[in-house]
Amino acid sequence: MTLAVRRTAFPSRVTVVVLLAVAAGLVFAHRLYRTAEISLSGAILSVISSYGVDVIPDRQTVYFGLGSDTPLGLRMTPECTSAFLVLPLIVVGAVMIALRPRIQSRVLFALGVAALAVVIVNQFRVLTLVGLVQWLGVDTGYYWGHTLLGSMVSVFGGAAALVAFVWLATRK
Amino acid sequence: MSLDLVLGFTQALALTMSVAFVTYVLFIVVPYLRRKPAPLGDPASLEWHFFVPCRDEEAVIGDTIRYLRGTFPIAHVWVIDDDSDDRTAGVVRTLKRNGGVRDTHIHLVQRQRPYARTGKGNALNDAYRTLKLWMGRRADTDRAIIVVVDADGRPAPNCLEVCAAAHLFGNPRIGAVQVDVRMINAGLRQPGVSLWRRTFGAALVRMQDLEFRTAIAAIQMSRGATGTISMGGNGQFTRLSALDSIAGRTGSPWRGSLLEDFELGVHLLTAGWHTGFSLDTHVNQEALYSLRRFLAQRTRWGQGTMQCMRYLRRIWDSEHLTTLGAAEMMYYLAQPWMQLLGTLIYPIPMALMAYRFAVSPAEVVAWFFDGAWILFTVYGAFGLLPFVLWGPVYRARCVPVSFWKSIAYGFGYALYIYTFYITSWRALIRLVRGNNGWTKTRRNTERRVVTADV
Repeated sequence: MTLAVRRTAFPSRVTVVVLLAVAAGLVFAHRLYRTAEISLSGAILSVISSYGVDVIPDRQTVYFGLGSDTPLGLRMTPECTSAFLVLPLIVVGAVMIALRPRIQSRVLFALGVAALAVVIVNQFRVLTLVGLVQWLGVDTGYYWGHTLLGSMVSVFGGAAALVAFVWLATRK
Repeated sequence: MSLDLVLGFTQALALTMSVAFVTYVLFIVVPYLRRKPAPLGDPASLEWHFFVPCRDEEAVIGDTIRYLRGTFPIAHVWVIDDDSDDRTAGVVRTLKRNGGVRDTHIHLVQRQRPYARTGKGNALNDAYRTLKLWMGRRADTDRAIIVVVDADGRPAPNCLEVCAAAHLFGNPRIGAVQVDVRMINAGLRQPGVSLWRRTFGAALVRMQDLEFRTAIAAIQMSRGATGTISMGGNGQFTRLSALDSIAGRTGSPWRGSLLEDFELGVHLLTAGWHTGFSLDTHVNQEALYSLRRFLAQRTRWGQGTMQCMRYLRRIWDSEHLTTLGAAEMMYYLAQPWMQLLGTLIYPIPMALMAYRFAVSPAEVVAWFFDGAWILFTVYGAFGLLPFVLWGPVYRARCVPVSFWKSIAYGFGYALYIYTFYITSWRALIRLVRGNNGWTKTRRNTERRVVTADV
């Protein structure tokens, strides 16, 4: 006797609603997201830095280089967070699933990869900034790290995430 | 909602939209620059029918018929007179009589009000039904190719050879082919107007030529990969059997939106036909010198694109379109909406900065000179690059002008594109008001007739 198990896909409408809820959550609970993001930065810095690191979650701020000549605090502002870069991807992903439910799993996978890429790029941006501050000093390091390099990392990281999303979500 | 949140949100959205667009442009420009001519085919293997919709085209239709008959002797020319007020039909009849030796390859499809002047699509449908009757039931509709040409259109002499090639109509799965469009008056200045209008008009014409021959051509080529090459209003080649498959009971393959050419492509693609595009041949048309007429034309196109949004479900439901293809078509249909969004989103960071400057000017000035100017330069470059690069591309592939002139063309093209922000809003307003009808775009030689009570 064989037991046939019918594979049922998760209802796409539920997925769309969940995705849109996540998108709304990113807007209305962005403080929570920024806290998580800066805590992650703090965790990574405490592993790779030989100086003290401290995170103040209420202010979404990480202090690094504590005990060195160049201690500095970085705040994850709404302008710096990756939350709003992930948001358009989620909305586009939700629209795609709503219009073609059979690509649900592919889009979710693409969304996961792209969102992860955006988060990693933003962490890389923070770490680059920290590295430049420690290398060039607070003024020069912050100037180049925040203004130019940070923007370039965002632009190229964003482009890479978009390409990854489109490629993974639309491949046959 | 705090100002910081609004700023962060709008900045991220603006960044995403800009980065998406820059990435898209870089993806389409490379295949365009690398393309090579394809082998030709035998035009005698197919049967060709030119459809020329006309309304008050007395000034140009005679030369067009002579050109089509002289350049393509094997082809039939079907002039669709949409109840013209001038002598358009008379010109066609005279040419058909041919001084006593009747030209059997010239046909006149006459429409009359109230059934005339209801849109280009309806005029083409009338010609389609007339052609079907003329051909009879036993006609080989796979061999018959319909070519839609404007009343002043000039298809290049090699267009039948190119379109008959093995990868185009030589392939039975290809239902329609669009060829490159060029502006016949590029480089020609409008006579009889002031120096300012002449100079501006020439620049506007150049931009239209650049747009069609570079950006639009590159987009069409990239659609070869997504399987979504779309049709244009001029230089549109369609297999009769493909039209039959989408004509329905009313015998109407062309539908009623203001962008009936794009709509035709949607119906063909979702019916399972493949479409092709070629840069190996072209059709010449006249570009507009007048900004007013240009804005009216682009508003109509924008409104037509907005109307076609209703096909989104059909596109995504179609088993014949890949997800990439459906996404590409959705991206195209979203363009006017994204332009509307852009006009709302892009100014917000600037407005907030202006507000901060008003509150504490010294702080903003210090912020700007401390490094924010680099940000402005980077974002400005990303905003302009996707448009400016078409100037040098135009130089490399189309018209050999000096490098600096090509850069100037690129900046001109960036300015030209900004007009779409205006036309998208005009299109939305017309759409909301339910103004879905439209008069044809007047040609450069046409003047508005003004009457006054005495």
